[in-house]
Amino acid sequence: MGLGRYIGKKALWYGGALLAAIVLNFILPRLVPGNPVDTIVSSLARGGSVTADQQQKIYASFVSQFGLDKPLWQQFLIYLNNIVHGNLGVSFSAYPVSVNHLVGQAVPWTLAIQLPSIIIGWIIGNALGAIAAFKGGRWDSGAFTSSLLLSAMPYYCLSIILLYFLALKAGLFPVGGAYSYGLSPGFNMQFITDALHYYWLPFLSLVLVIIGGQAVGMRSMAIYELGSDYVNFSRGLGIGQGKIVGYIFHNAMLPQITGLALSIGTMVGGALITELVFNYPGMGTLLFNAISSNDYPVIQSITLIITVAVLFANFAVEVVYGIVDPRIRAAKTGEK
Amino acid sequence: MTALTAAPPELLMRATNLNAAYSADGTRDVPAVDAVSLEVPRGQILGLAGESGCGKSTLGNTLAMIANPPLYVLSGTLEIAGLTIDLSTLDKGADARHRPHRGQIVSMLPQGAMNSISPTLRIRDLVCDVVRAHDRSKSRSDALDLARDRLTMLGMPVRVLDQYAHQLSGGMRQRMVTVISTLLNPQLLIADEPTSALDVSSQKALIEMLIHMVDEKIMGGAIFITHDLPVLSMVTDQLAIMYAGRIVETGPTAELVHSARHPYTSALLAAVLDPTRETRTKTVEGIPGSPPNLANPPTGCRFHPRCPFAMEVCARQDPPLVGEGIHSASCWWAKDHPHETVPLQGVSL
Repeated sequence: MGLGRYIGKKALWYGGALLAAIVLNFILPRLVPGNPVDTIVSSLARGGSVTADQQQKIYASFVSQFGLDKPLWQQFLIYLNNIVHGNLGVSFSAYPVSVNHLVGQAVPWTLAIQLPSIIIGWIIGNALGAIAAFKGGRWDSGAFTSSLLLSAMPYYCLSIILLYFLALKAGLFPVGGAYSYGLSPGFNMQFITDALHYYWLPFLSLVLVIIGGQAVGMRSMAIYELGSDYVNFSRGLGIGQGKIVGYIFHNAMLPQITGLALSIGTMVGGALITELVFNYPGMGTLLFNAISSNDYPVIQSITLIITVAVLFANFAVEVVYGIVDPRIRAAKTGEK
Repeated sequence: MTALTAAPPELLMRATNLNAAYSADGTRDVPAVDAVSLEVPRGQILGLAGESGCGKSTLGNTLAMIANPPLYVLSGTLEIAGLTIDLSTLDKGADARHRPHRGQIVSMLPQGAMNSISPTLRIRDLVCDVVRAHDRSKSRSDALDLARDRLTMLGMPVRVLDQYAHQLSGGMRQRMVTVISTLLNPQLLIADEPTSALDVSSQKALIEMLIHMVDEKIMGGAIFITHDLPVLSMVTDQLAIMYAGRIVETGPTAELVHSARHPYTSALLAAVLDPTRETRTKTVEGIPGSPPNLANPPTGCRFHPRCPFAMEVCARQDPPLVGEGIHSASCWWAKDHPHETVPLQGVSL
């Protein structure tokens, strides 16, 4: 069986890609002239409240804190060691809070909003696209036109439209945030019902766009497969409609699986604009704030997390493809 | 191939008054099969020949009950195996009504078998689905046993069952598709250009297999659709020549090839090269003009604008059926010239 060899080969490739990504992630910020500590100290200096002597001391302490006084190769080993131990460093702007803590706070919100919307959107979108392709006629034109409209609409545009009508005009949902002021996150009934109330708007604005995009893709794939020779042959053999739809679905699914895995992979980066529009405390907001305050450790950590997630998602796609599409397995392993 | 005997052979199927049309823009119908009736004797292969676009495949799809919009079967009955099947697909329940007959009574061996098996399906899974579509009580292993026995009988390797279509060569794939389409011992097999995508040696293998299957009574009979006349004269017992949605001449293959009664038949035959000594000096002229637009066919005989023997009556009235026994042609010229063969050189000017 070539499947094990196929997966092993893929795993090696992805391991190499991950290593390259880690090296780049380490080197790129250090190629920028100056170092991040300069930025912090000079911004402190601009305040005017620190003397040159104090500045010197602050500088020295930051440099040793971040290990910038050591040679590059040592820094790299320390960096590697930290990553292996899951230590992402200390945030500059929220010093002395660790990046782990910041990310740990943001990730649950992002996952809570993205994972359900991607999965539900994917399932509904594909079902809708497939039904539109099979039914044809008025069903198709209705579903296709609305899907096209939804998928062509930028996230923020739909977010703002929903925000205006459902929150501002109808007052059904709160305008922004993830939970009511004064509550603190925790697993209790009161907090969860409150968070769910805030959840609907950002969820809707994500899920509608995903449904649209998936439905458009699935519809055209299914229409293409409907016209293929094997559908005709299977009908001529008296195979039932349900079975034939199964064949078509299996083949039309293949590109859609890639889409699903990739969106799950990029998911940890947060739906940047949606989170900003709704002032939602996820990874997107964290990244945005880190960039605007030059918080290198946070930016670096988020890019690393996104890289790992995207690589992992791609790897998962390749494995799933190897299982569901015999042609790819054969081509990649030379199996005959 | 069964030798023709003096006694008329038992009839396998009779199709009467087939009418099928493509709906071009929802309102206007383009008739592609026009009042066609056909008979196939048991144990024989009927060849269906004609130019591209004359309605051969449409007729095949009509008989195989797989007409799909925009093709609609307007009318027609098929008498086969003691059944009388209404082929019309105008009512909503037609597909469900026809499904049990497909594959079991009439089976289709399609054009372009390259993609006839879903690329993500193992052959054995398709085999199971085919068998179980007609008999729910059959288990997976029953179906596989049936397929294994059939492959062994035909001298094909059994391991193909575990493979995917892309792992088979073109010739093997086409033979496998043939085995699957005849797995349930259909009464009638409709082979729609099964050889056209194959190289010559694979063509030969497939044709020998089809003839073997008819001789072994795996199927009751077959209709072989192609425009490859040399293949037809090798495979078939009878020929039906089709032009612009109508059958213009039918008869035993040997008789039709040597003494055609319809000018179109003889023009078609004249367009084929025989690999003989004289071929070097012979020029193939082909048939001048092209088949008519079926949305607006010529009046009277549809071949008259291209026919060198056309008379004034041909454009006015539908030609009469002129026949001696099982050899008959629809032609005014044939009516005026009983027992005469169309002079070939008169056509290929």
